Amino acid sequence: MNVHNEIQHLKSGEVNLGTSIMAVQFAGGVIIGADSRTTTGSYIANRVTDKLTHVHDLIYCCRSGSAADTQAIADMVHYYLQMYTQSAGERPSVQVAASLFQKLCYENKDALSAGIIVAGWDKEVGPSVYNIPVGGGMFRQPWAIGGSGSTYVYGYCDSTYREGWGRDETIEFVKNTLALAMSRDGSSGGVIRMCVITEDGVERLFVPGNELPKFWEGKDLPGLVRLAKGTDIVPMAVEV
Amino acid sequence: MEILSYLNACGGHRLLTRIPPSFDMSVPSVHLASGFDFSNQIRNNFLAERGIPLPKATSTGTTIVGCLFKDGIVLGADTRATEGDIVADKNCEKIHYITENIRCCGAGTAADTEFTTAMISSNMELHALWTGRKPRVVTAMTMLKQTLFKYQGQIGAALVLGGVDSAGPHLFTIHPHGSTDKLPFVTMGSGSLAAMAVFESGWKPNMDRAEALQLVKDAIFAGIFNDLGSGSNVDACIITATSTEMLRNVEMPNQRAEKENKYEFKRGTTAWKKEEVRSLITSEQVTLIGVGDESMDTS
Amino acid sequence: MTSIGTGYDLSASTYSPDGRIFQVEYAAKAVENSGTAIGLRVKGGVVLAVEKLVHSKLLVPGANRRIQTIDKHIGMATSGLLADGRHMANRGRDEAASYREVYNSPSPLKIIVDRLGLYAQAYTVYSSVRPFGLSTILGAVDKDGPQLYVIEPSGVFFGYRGAAVGKGRQLAKTELEKLQIGELTMRQAVKEAARIIYLVHEDAKEKEFELEMSWIGDETGGVHLPIPKELQQEAEAAAKASIEVFE
Repeated sequence: MNVHNEIQHLKSGEVNLGTSIMAVQFAGGVIIGADSRTTTGSYIANRVTDKLTHVHDLIYCCRSGSAADTQAIADMVHYYLQMYTQSAGERPSVQVAASLFQKLCYENKDALSAGIIVAGWDKEVGPSVYNIPVGGGMFRQPWAIGGSGSTYVYGYCDSTYREGWGRDETIEFVKNTLALAMSRDGSSGGVIRMCVITEDGVERLFVPGNELPKFWEGKDLPGLVRLAKGTDIVPMAVEV
Repeated sequence: MEILSYLNACGGHRLLTRIPPSFDMSVPSVHLASGFDFSNQIRNNFLAERGIPLPKATSTGTTIVGCLFKDGIVLGADTRATEGDIVADKNCEKIHYITENIRCCGAGTAADTEFTTAMISSNMELHALWTGRKPRVVTAMTMLKQTLFKYQGQIGAALVLGGVDSAGPHLFTIHPHGSTDKLPFVTMGSGSLAAMAVFESGWKPNMDRAEALQLVKDAIFAGIFNDLGSGSNVDACIITATSTEMLRNVEMPNQRAEKENKYEFKRGTTAWKKEEVRSLITSEQVTLIGVGDESMDTS
Repeated sequence: MTSIGTGYDLSASTYSPDGRIFQVEYAAKAVENSGTAIGLRVKGGVVLAVEKLVHSKLLVPGANRRIQTIDKHIGMATSGLLADGRHMANRGRDEAASYREVYNSPSPLKIIVDRLGLYAQAYTVYSSVRPFGLSTILGAVDKDGPQLYVIEPSGVFFGYRGAAVGKGRQLAKTELEKLQIGELTMRQAVKEAARIIYLVHEDAKEKEFELEMSWIGDETGGVHLPIPKELQQEAEAAAKASIEVFE
């Protein structure tokens, strides 16, 4: 997540979205997760950012791209959903929330850099996840990943994800995926924040930066021979 | 804090008086050519080709900070204002009034921070009157972020907003594009890195008033002494549920020392041969025209 | 008609001394002179039926339809001034389209009825306009199942299991009340609707009429459609037979 997006406006094509976000549905609800890094160029402007943003009781979004743009969009959707709730007399569906995001993202695509994942629970279809990538498209998916960190973990997700997981397995999947993404992507990092959204409400989960799941991180320098204690090091003999 | 943003001499277009090609060149035209004129763009591209690029936007020089403590918020700022590499004001005020219980530190373009905070202050007062409730920090934060977002970063205001309201103490940073962060300690401006280093090593939860003030002073000192854009004195502001104290120039680490030598010459050091004093007063004869007994012929 | 000549009935923006808006009441009278329209909300959907009086033998069969489609899943039957009905339907279509535009999903009927109710009400407060001479039956199957509403000329609306408006509404309502409406299938409801329309028409001994029927529900995949030809003919034949037996 960038505070400034001048670079993106100046550089055509090259878009820098520094974030790792994710949402996965399971039988009883959805798990959403994100890293916590916000950058201004090479400076980390916020190392404990909350990118999991409330837009309604049981609907949240994960934000990636320009911080200003995504905050403004989420604020607007939050407002529209409050108005919807008052006029319709019931909670909006996740599809309705995602459609509002999509409308804003598509109609203002030239002015925005925002990649958003909308997820939540509704009485019509239960849990659902919608991906709204940068151009303003809208796709319902069983799981979605986003932000610059996501490119590193598509393969992991494809090979790991299984239908029919329960809550705890899904949490582990989200936690591991994000940890892998954060370890490879320089623009992602900090802590992992997650939310469990079910019919009964929203539960927040937090993984501190020093307790992230660890994977293979390399051992010693390749080819380096460790010498036993007391071994004398003799310079190589040079033939004249 | 940068006093002036660049004039749009380097910018894209301006309206310009131009002589229509068919016109007699010896007489200046009184007519405005219609539409925009892009000749500056051509000139700028030409200059860029010749190795004179557009002037770079100067990075803004300021250190502003905010810090949460047991009873509320401490805000801090340096007092240097710059125009390019010249210090324009050695003791300016960067902690702006929003409401009695909310203050806002400004970094970036001085005029922009001054006017946006003044406008939001005014609107907050009206909002408080309209709702009949004490103003909230999130309200000011929302107004500021929506204003800045609307101008898409054109308003160069980077702010630290702090205050105490019915929901407790709140501290935000607001970036020029309109994004906000809520944190227990924040820094902004060119000295933000130096100041953040102090906070990261020294901040702890539930500090008392004196500890928090000292930490804020240290953070501003870090900016004043290590950042070229920041300097002079320390301003601080302590906001609690019951009071707001504005501590203007709470530290003045850059007082000019008494000069050790005087550079005056003793009377009579230089000898002279001649003295002449001329009168600088001139007198003029003024003849009034059209003011007399003769009345104007209006027949 | 003590109100006539007092002047309080000249504008919808003036109350009579006893607190009535005569123009709105006259609008209701316009509905009473129009052919009956009924709606049934049954287990799997909604059935609409209209007794369309044919005032000229020269008219093409099927002309001047009084059942219209508001959205794929919303049907509307009107009783009263035909032109007002078409205007109301257009407004309904605009509202349904705008809901789809914003939320990218079919609108719940309640929302449309709410907005059309407000629209009708706005025509009862200005001196420059007249209220709609219209009682509107709206039927739909939305995310909460089958729905049925009636909007009156005043702008008020209610939800019903069975609804009847127009000339023969009293008798039609009595007939509807006799039914176990919640237990009917859509096909049974079509036959009942046809029977009721034939019955109320017979009762009034009016000129020619055409039976116009539509349905929305399981039988149509949730889409508002006319009743298929065979079923319509079957229902009409059964209706005629029941009248003869009755006589």
